[in-house]
Amino acid sequence: MPKRIRSKIARGSAEIAMLSLLAEQPLYGFEIAKQIGERTGGTLKFTLASLYPLLYEMEKRGWVEARWQSNSAGRDRRYYRLTPTGRRQLAPLRAEWRSFFHALDALAGVSHA
Amino acid sequence: MPDWKMLVRRRMGQLDLPSGSEKEVISELAEHLQETYQHALSHGLTNRAAIRLALQEVDDWRVLAVNIRRAKESSMNHRTKSLWLPALITLFGASVSLAVTQFLRLQPRLVWVGGWGMTFYWQWLATLPLLGAVGAYLSQRAEGPVRARLAAGLSPALIMLIVMSLILPWGLAIDGFHFFRLVGFGLGLINWVVIPAAALLIGAVPFAFRSGWNERVDA
Repeated sequence: MPKRIRSKIARGSAEIAMLSLLAEQPLYGFEIAKQIGERTGGTLKFTLASLYPLLYEMEKRGWVEARWQSNSAGRDRRYYRLTPTGRRQLAPLRAEWRSFFHALDALAGVSHA
Repeated sequence: MPDWKMLVRRRMGQLDLPSGSEKEVISELAEHLQETYQHALSHGLTNRAAIRLALQEVDDWRVLAVNIRRAKESSMNHRTKSLWLPALITLFGASVSLAVTQFLRLQPRLVWVGGWGMTFYWQWLATLPLLGAVGAYLSQRAEGPVRARLAAGLSPALIMLIVMSLILPWGLAIDGFHFFRLVGFGLGLINWVVIPAAALLIGAVPFAFRSGWNERVDA
């Protein structure tokens, strides 16, 4: 199992991780954290403390919007979905990260390939 | 099973967010802890271990509260929007209204109460319910608590109260204690604080106790 990466690196990647996930479907906080953990094999892990300030920040910027919905058990969950503004952030963010990895690879040889 | 809402509210303390927004944050964080706890139980952890795991989601609640406040706040903070700005607008409105009354040379009415004369600017007093309503409405719209709405609506009277409270000891210190000065102060208090406050309150009360549009998530 890959090692969990240090918090500063994880924090920097949080925006793109969340936006990519929400581009697929609307999700609520716990599910966002769970899916990020599962899909990165535990390398990226978001706790309540790291997740919500960022979600609220993204909501304030208008990248995501939230809505309360009840599930079949009658429990209220706040679902987040990407707005058109948020969707527009995704492509430049991906490009930025891609060039960051290329640069780091050229310097430190960090790529698998 | 712990009462997660109570736990979050207690550990976070006062978030100083609009009341609807604060309830929403508490509900959402409590829901997250609840799901973490139930997820842990479903994976075979004991009740105690599941609670411990859920609580590990937050290292420092005060830091989390600061981060959430920072993330939620707009450029103008909540207190400014819900108290200072509406109060200032009400105060400005009351001052302009009084200035206009005097500019138009509308004479105050002299009323004798037990040998003491009191001057009332009726025309000015008549505008105060509207100004009280404006202050309380602006505060309510910014999701200010009831106290902030009342304070915003009553701000002209509160400012006069502060001014007069400063004048009285000053006057007593200079001239010494005189019965007539005290009576004059009492009448001034009624004239410039109590009666204007009552007029402002008439307008402020309907907005002070009205629910905000997004106060739908119960604490």
